[in-house]
Amino acid sequence: MSHHPSEAELALLAGGECGAVSRFFLIRHVRECRQCTEATARFEMLRAEIAHPELPDLDWGRLESEMRANIRLGLEAGECVRLFPAAKVWNPRLTVAFASLMVLAGAGILLHSNEPVTVKAAEPVLQSSGAGLELRNGSSSMTLMNRNGSVADQTVSAQGEIGARYVDGGSVTINNVYLE
Amino acid sequence: MSIWNKLRWFAVAALALPLFAQDKLDPANSVKIDLQPDSPLALISMSMGDSRASTRGGAMVLDLHMELKLRNSGFRRVRGVTLLITTQEFAPGGKGSVARPCIDVAPTQEFSVPIDVRLVRPVQQVASGPLVRVQLDGVLFDDLSFFGPNKLNSQRSMTFWETEAQRDRAYFKHVLQAKGEKALQDEMLLSMAKQADSQLDVALNRNGRAVGSLVSSNEHMTPFAFLKMPSAPVQPVQGWAEISGNEARSPEIEVINQSAKAVRYVEIGWMVKDGEGHDYLAGSVPGSSTTMLLPPGQHSRLLPDTTLKFSRTGHPVEIKGMTGFVKQVEFADGKVWVPSRDELKSSGLRIMAPSPEEQRLADICRNQGLPALIAELNKF
Repeated sequence: MSHHPSEAELALLAGGECGAVSRFFLIRHVRECRQCTEATARFEMLRAEIAHPELPDLDWGRLESEMRANIRLGLEAGECVRLFPAAKVWNPRLTVAFASLMVLAGAGILLHSNEPVTVKAAEPVLQSSGAGLELRNGSSSMTLMNRNGSVADQTVSAQGEIGARYVDGGSVTINNVYLE
Repeated sequence: MSIWNKLRWFAVAALALPLFAQDKLDPANSVKIDLQPDSPLALISMSMGDSRASTRGGAMVLDLHMELKLRNSGFRRVRGVTLLITTQEFAPGGKGSVARPCIDVAPTQEFSVPIDVRLVRPVQQVASGPLVRVQLDGVLFDDLSFFGPNKLNSQRSMTFWETEAQRDRAYFKHVLQAKGEKALQDEMLLSMAKQADSQLDVALNRNGRAVGSLVSSNEHMTPFAFLKMPSAPVQPVQGWAEISGNEARSPEIEVINQSAKAVRYVEIGWMVKDGEGHDYLAGSVPGSSTTMLLPPGQHSRLLPDTTLKFSRTGHPVEIKGMTGFVKQVEFADGKVWVPSRDELKSSGLRIMAPSPEEQRLADICRNQGLPALIAELNKF
């Protein structure tokens, strides 16, 4: 080791708490370095001093009794202020019955409502697929389908129109769907 | 009766409720077919197939699989029919149509139109009376004359389809005569390979951000590149769209009328390129038919106010580039222009979807063989 180890490393060495490799190198250095040998000895002495501290002159038995009494008092006070009873075992049948009642009540209200259904205005979208041409507007749709799943040639007009052309039984059919 | 027995009966009744609800609505009485008294088509019959009404959770689902049998009661051959489908209670803010293009129905002959529609709405909102109304929007005849209220601009659509049909039949007849049956077969195989390829799933709405869009911090204006169609009477000058991830908003294209006639409708085909360099046919940018009348030499802007969101097999397709090309032009006199087969080929437009007629001819070749296709081409 070309330089002196730090004080923290020497303190760890004195306490026997450094790793095996660093312990090997530190011991090698301390053997040949007087300054570090002294520092390590100081740390060992300090450690020995704090291992046996002088305890204050207290009545430890009385202190223990007071602590126990305080804990009991806290527990009793908690019982007095508890607003709700402790959690009981969950009953799945009761939950299912309540949920079913809620669904029935909701369905009844919906089915017997005389108010007109408000349909949210949606933007129509025209879409082609292998099956045909679909014009979708909210939850409603119209699809012109290719007969018998025929493969169709498609034409798209940026004016707002898609066509699907297929041959079935020797005749050509052209379906078109238009956005207005 | 104990409480448990009562609960058991209640559960059985709850399970049986959807079965009773399924019979509550009669699909046949839910549809009203409305043909004008002076219509060149007469309704012969309407079959409902396995149509059914049912309730699922809190929603009423009406699955209609109809087949209308119509007769040509006029004196000209019918080349196309468009029916308007309205169901305001199920789809407020929209409507549908079912068209049968590329038909050849002689006077007094009968033909059928399939209508497959699924309607969903909350149970408590179902009103009595017909839920779906089917009306005739237009009939196109072999001389390109038209009958009908034309609420959906079906005259224009059917005229374009018929013009493309004439172009494609002429092309395939030319291939047969000039190069033989093998060359015709090769063309058909090429057409089949093109069908339903390079397609994207699209969600479209009128304003704001499309549902389920991939939000990207680098929202920016992306310019269109344009493919040259030399014979097009209208040419694109410049164009751009606001791109954010897989979403394109408010495309805007400036065009100039280079022909000597006034133009009342232009449609620009729209391709997008993803991050891996794949091209997809995204759709088209049309002009507004109600306001547009473009005199010769004048400029106009195509400004559809919509947002489109692109995905493929459920995954967002991030847009890295856009290409446009003139797809259709309608003049003020009702005549139309579509690109020739040669122009489509020379422009490098490999992902253009085949026309309805090309699709029909390829289907004949696939299911009935080359001789049936040749016989079909020789009818015209």
